[in-house]
Amino acid sequence: MTSKDLVLESAADRTIRFERDALVFTDQLYAAALRYTKNPEDARDLVQDTYLKAFTSFHQFEEGTNLRAWLYRVLTTTFINTYRKDQRRPQVAQAELEDWQLAEAQSHTSDLGKSAEVEALENLPDSDIKRALQEIPEEFRMVVYLADVEGFSYKEIAEIVEIPAGTVMSRLSRGRKQLREKLADYAAELGYSVATSKKFVEAAKKSAKAIEGEVSGE
Amino acid sequence: MSYIEIQCGEVLSSVIFIIEGELEQLPQRSAIEAHINSCLPCTAEIAHERAMHDLLQATLRRSCNESAPEDLHEAIHRQLRAQMSGATEVVTQFSMTEISIEIDEFGNIEHREIQIEQTHIQHFIDDDGTQGQGRDK
Repeated sequence: MTSKDLVLESAADRTIRFERDALVFTDQLYAAALRYTKNPEDARDLVQDTYLKAFTSFHQFEEGTNLRAWLYRVLTTTFINTYRKDQRRPQVAQAELEDWQLAEAQSHTSDLGKSAEVEALENLPDSDIKRALQEIPEEFRMVVYLADVEGFSYKEIAEIVEIPAGTVMSRLSRGRKQLREKLADYAAELGYSVATSKKFVEAAKKSAKAIEGEVSGE
Repeated sequence: MSYIEIQCGEVLSSVIFIIEGELEQLPQRSAIEAHINSCLPCTAEIAHERAMHDLLQATLRRSCNESAPEDLHEAIHRQLRAQMSGATEVVTQFSMTEISIEIDEFGNIEHREIQIEQTHIQHFIDDDGTQGQGRDK
């Protein structure tokens, strides 16, 4: 389609083109809106508003570029501007440190911790996964959702959320970490930690006996 | 190649860059790679982080896979059709013809005609009182 054709495209043709190309993402956008707004009524309104806004500025969308990413950008900015319950600037942004990498103490995880984490993730019901996602701060939730559910690259996320790429990385790292911590907590509530601690006690007993044996054998 | 030796902590705090395949963004890239190659606990930790990342992604995708209510599709369709019928197009067409005639000293006549055409379409779509969108070509 040449630029001349676009200019001469009638309102009816444009509507048909929009419906054909954009409306296939309704389910995906609704699922994202549910995670953003945390309730079905607002999610519904957000998706409707998103499509309306996208439609009225559809002539600004360059054909051949990523329509899905563009729609997510409209969804995200509409959410931030309209539906955010707390209109104050996010506290996370202020707390965000430039040297966030240094701010996080890092040490190796024990093998026991590793297997417990895997076990927790494999056993938690969907409702708990969604609850954990809802409980992490909005700024983290959005980038984690866009990266891990929608599969956008961090560069695409930077454009969708309109934040620097470095900030995307920082929020992604912290968001995932918080999410995993929450999921580990839920798993503990469900009793997976019991199994883990039993294993731990057994392992500890074994090694204690081994040491004892070595010592008495001397 | 020489590099400054780094500690496990620095490797582990860069794990997000390793998982995302964006290690080249970091200035200490070669030091990190060298450390990983010679440190078993870090190698194991990164393997675990990768596995957890894949598992978390699969879990999130499974649990967030939700469909929009059936009537939402219909509502969006109706809304767009209403917008379309409310849309007004103003078409401005402009055309100009420039004619020049030159007669040289031998009496030869040279005749030139230049035609300029321009079409401007403006779409006015009612959007809660906001201004219409214009487009110019």
